Amino acid sequence: MKRRVAITGFGLISSLGDSPSLFHQQLCEGKNGLGQIVEYEAQGFEPQPGGRVVSFAAETYLKGRPLRPLDRTGKLFAAAAKLALESSGWTAEYLATHDIGVVLGTMFGSMHTISHFDRQSLVEGPSCVSPMDFSNTVINSAAAQTAIWHKLRGINSTIASGATSGLMAIGYAADLIQCGQQMAVLAGGADEFCFEAFCGLERAGLLCGPASKGGCAVPFDGRRTGMALAEAGALLALEDWDSAQARGASVLGEIRGHANAYNAAWNQAGRGPEAIIRAMQCALEDAKLSPSAIDCISASANGSVADDRNEARAIGTVFNHGVALTAIKSMIGETLGAAGVLQSIDFLETMRNLTLPGIMGLEQVDRELVPLNFCRQPTFISAQAALISSLGFDGHACSLIITSPQLA
Amino acid sequence: MIRSASVAVTGLGIVSSIGTGRRQFWDALLAGCSGFSRVKSFDTRDYSVHVGAEISDFYPEDYVLELQPAMIGRTSQLAIAASRLALQDGALDLADIDGDRVGVCVGTTSGEPHYIERFDDQYVQGCTEQAGQELLRGYPCHVVPFNIAKELGLGGEVMMIPTACAAGNYAIAHACDLLCAGKADFMLAGGADSFSRITYTGFARLGAIAPHVCQPFDRNRKGMIPGEGAAILLLERRELALARGARIYCEVAGYGLSCDAHHMTAAHPEGEGAARAIKIALAQSNIRPDGVDYISAHGTGTPTNDRLETIAVKKAFGTHAYKVPMSSVKSMLGHTMGAASAIEAAVCALAITYGCIPPTMHWQSGDSDCDLDYVPNTARKHEVKVAMNNAYAFGGNNSSLVLAAYSRSGRQHQ
Amino acid sequence: MDVEAIRLKIKQAIHRVAGIEVSAISDSASYETDLGLDSLSILEIAVELENQFKFHASDEELSAIRTVEDAVNLVTKRSGVGVA
Repeated sequence: MKRRVAITGFGLISSLGDSPSLFHQQLCEGKNGLGQIVEYEAQGFEPQPGGRVVSFAAETYLKGRPLRPLDRTGKLFAAAAKLALESSGWTAEYLATHDIGVVLGTMFGSMHTISHFDRQSLVEGPSCVSPMDFSNTVINSAAAQTAIWHKLRGINSTIASGATSGLMAIGYAADLIQCGQQMAVLAGGADEFCFEAFCGLERAGLLCGPASKGGCAVPFDGRRTGMALAEAGALLALEDWDSAQARGASVLGEIRGHANAYNAAWNQAGRGPEAIIRAMQCALEDAKLSPSAIDCISASANGSVADDRNEARAIGTVFNHGVALTAIKSMIGETLGAAGVLQSIDFLETMRNLTLPGIMGLEQVDRELVPLNFCRQPTFISAQAALISSLGFDGHACSLIITSPQLA
Repeated sequence: MIRSASVAVTGLGIVSSIGTGRRQFWDALLAGCSGFSRVKSFDTRDYSVHVGAEISDFYPEDYVLELQPAMIGRTSQLAIAASRLALQDGALDLADIDGDRVGVCVGTTSGEPHYIERFDDQYVQGCTEQAGQELLRGYPCHVVPFNIAKELGLGGEVMMIPTACAAGNYAIAHACDLLCAGKADFMLAGGADSFSRITYTGFARLGAIAPHVCQPFDRNRKGMIPGEGAAILLLERRELALARGARIYCEVAGYGLSCDAHHMTAAHPEGEGAARAIKIALAQSNIRPDGVDYISAHGTGTPTNDRLETIAVKKAFGTHAYKVPMSSVKSMLGHTMGAASAIEAAVCALAITYGCIPPTMHWQSGDSDCDLDYVPNTARKHEVKVAMNNAYAFGGNNSSLVLAAYSRSGRQHQ
Repeated sequence: MDVEAIRLKIKQAIHRVAGIEVSAISDSASYETDLGLDSLSILEIAVELENQFKFHASDEELSAIRTVEDAVNLVTKRSGVGVA
């Protein structure tokens, strides 16, 4: 018998701040967390939208010890972990007597640190490289640094499965709790904004481009041209349900089910929605819920021409077309490893304050999409269950189902 | 810990600097062959060390049949080769089964470093346009398992667990959990890494690379030797393996994972986290310390690792630590990073199957810190019913995997 | 550059790596005992000094640095920076 998984806390560092309730409120107000990325003109990249956490000062959250050993990805994740720990209600005694796990989802890991380290070696010589930077060149460094900073001695793992990694990390952590391996786990994702990621995505033709040239990163919009790269760190505090009840924890929600799927023939098969459909259906099966039990969907849609279309097709195939649909990347951009986690946190707040954010900027729904209930404005909703959808850029899909603690 | 099914190891695929394929690899291992040579894949003239364990005779076109070898990185090539070898070894024809029920779970330290290294080469010369083109397609480490899935037409659970030098154990552990949960019927699980300039530079800067050979647990050990390789284990639930008449090497009895939460590059000074992982693994496997017949050590050959690992084993095994043989194949293969613990898990499966333990090569004498039975220099015939595979990574990620001889009665070896 | 200036630069490197205020680092401070530095921090500081003063120390020389004074002596000896 699988154990149930409660969500008892959350934390985030994003371009819309570090408070889950304020984050959600700003999404409901249609606040745009994106700025203009102007600093790469020298490398030949025109300014275009992007989401840096400009005001992030790690020392605000991580005090008392030098921060030099951490890189930006590590700081984003460790700072968000600090907030999740504070939100969880785990006392010092609980933390001292339980080995809390940490699971990180990241697409690029510390790609900037890796590249910088290598370039320093090329330019100045291999003996001039920073030993501390080397320790951050492993993809799991943010997870390890977070465990070191917060003394978390449980299972420490990292999932790097592309842009779905954050949601995959939550699923992986939930599995650890369900099979009794861990009582409590901090699970989430982080990816930093860096030139290397920006360059790679831009060269692959995935970014939206400058507005002056018609660049549009609005999900599902007929004018969309691609995504806006952003950064964030975000985590959920997950806990064995019975244990959470026993300590009188405030349970924000439940991880009811999850699944992921891949279509190996995606490139040849015309890049269709098959894997997304399978991920959604298998997540529903895992949750033992029918599609009609889902009150709303937080889409992965980020302005990508093909992926947004496929996701809409998948939703139209699996669900009733009236299910309320939001896409918060319209305001925070594509945060890669953190994306699915931010979507999850937003849904937890949606359950609390009964409002689903609208898809900011959606003025002309793409006529080729199946007619779904795209919420262009913030919408009143009394939601008990949501499907959180996350798509990779190469045919991989992950779905997570979060339900209200009151849902039977 | 609720374990609802037994997981059988039914196929092994290995690509290494001393041999490719289960037979060639095992024969070379027992003969004590070393894969060390002067580094060829980049110029080490500005380094104080020059030895690595590169694979010199790997031909990707022999294994990469659907994708174009030139369009994927070396780590993916190695991993695909190991996957095909594992399927062949396990006599599993993918044409006979639903590809959506076959998953891939792989670990790595660096993923596909050559893409970022090429990007950097161009970056420092001021031209990123060419290298930037292939960066997204080729570099992020998830491409490794996804390339395996694309090559073989698999659509089940596909993931990368990049927990560095312990990644293989993590990947195998998670694959077992997926099988027990019924989320897959077969899993290709293991690890892969290709020789990386970045990795070599970093370990050289830390002073961690030995000048000539890797001598784990020897009093004169001077460090590790970076290498490359891949190993994939074909895993399935025992009843499925029996139903299809598969040869069962052994079963995965259990695993233990822990985190030191102490330091990025230095293990806990009392081996606390490593000992805890061992104990968790034994408890999950329902096996007593004196029930372990062989330990495949992490044994990198650095003064610190080998000392602390010995402390951890003593902590967890008590007096039995002095009786259980413990060897390090890194004495022959070097440190293959994310592939290491996967290769070493395969070694455990082979030790159980053939009743033979590979040696720790280049061992002349121990010291007061390293005074256990390290199976020096000569392979040893020894019945192995239970083997433990230990691996430790940057950040204090500790892992212990327990493999046990397949028991027809279904009862775990006590 | 005189010895005082070298010593200050060393203390500034320690500050950058380990966050310890320069004023809190005595001239005779021991890296491990007084400043609580771990091996990675000590190596990081040494590499910073090598880069700053443009010299390359052997592994033996680096592992012999136990105090601020040891670092001052090595930099003075190896960097060719004269004492004013």
